[in-house]
Amino acid sequence: MIPQLVFGFFAALTVLCSLLMILQRDPMHCVLYLAFTVLAIAGVFFTLQADFVGAIQLLVYAGGIVVLYLFVVIIINLSQLQAERRKFFPTLFLVAVPLLGLAELGYLLFARGFRHAPEGPAAVTLPRLAAELLTTYLIPFEVSSILLLAVLIGAIIIARREVGRDPH
Amino acid sequence: MIPIDAIVALGCAVFAIGLIGVLVRKNVMVVLMSLELLLNGVNILLIGFGLHLQSAVGQIFVLFVIMMAVAEAAVGFALILAYCRHRETYHLDEINDLKG
Repeated sequence: MIPQLVFGFFAALTVLCSLLMILQRDPMHCVLYLAFTVLAIAGVFFTLQADFVGAIQLLVYAGGIVVLYLFVVIIINLSQLQAERRKFFPTLFLVAVPLLGLAELGYLLFARGFRHAPEGPAAVTLPRLAAELLTTYLIPFEVSSILLLAVLIGAIIIARREVGRDPH
Repeated sequence: MIPIDAIVALGCAVFAIGLIGVLVRKNVMVVLMSLELLLNGVNILLIGFGLHLQSAVGQIFVLFVIMMAVAEAAVGFALILAYCRHRETYHLDEINDLKG
């Protein structure tokens, strides 16, 4: 009973904070609600027995990506922030399309129902995860490190100022 | 044991909210944040099905998705900073240099 309650709490927090995030006008408030959402999703991962991924979510998402968003919102000049205005019918259309897609997906999934989970030792332990990651998925793992190196260099090159033309 | 229906419903809800954010909002920053919501919704689904099927593959895929999210955020912000440095706008409707 307790795990269901904890999961329900974190799920409600996730949905509430993500809704508030897309409704905020100020990008700084959006970043704060994004941080709340990411932390709540980490809680969901913990209740789903994915300890390692929850910890990675806390470290990389909440500690890295959200802080990156925060710094960029601080750096860019938001003083000329203008109110977002859209006419009623385009907004209705743009909101209705994802909701209808969600409804169709939900109907297709829940009309058939899911297979019952096999009984047995439930949790995926960290040694099993590590063994799988470093044997079967070794090549994607190494390729991702190359991708991260390329992203590091590319982001620096794209974001730096032109040398010589702009002295500071 | 948490029912798989609830996990799937949560993941789909987060994905739909993120999609609404991407489509409706006009600020570049908020659109990028909504993209993170999309990725997080898929992560919840992967973890849920991994737990349901007692497979480690779900968690491994989530690790790769998080790595990809980091790359996307870093390059996206570099592009936004480089663009906004000489155009001074964060409004998606005004970013139309390539419009034919």
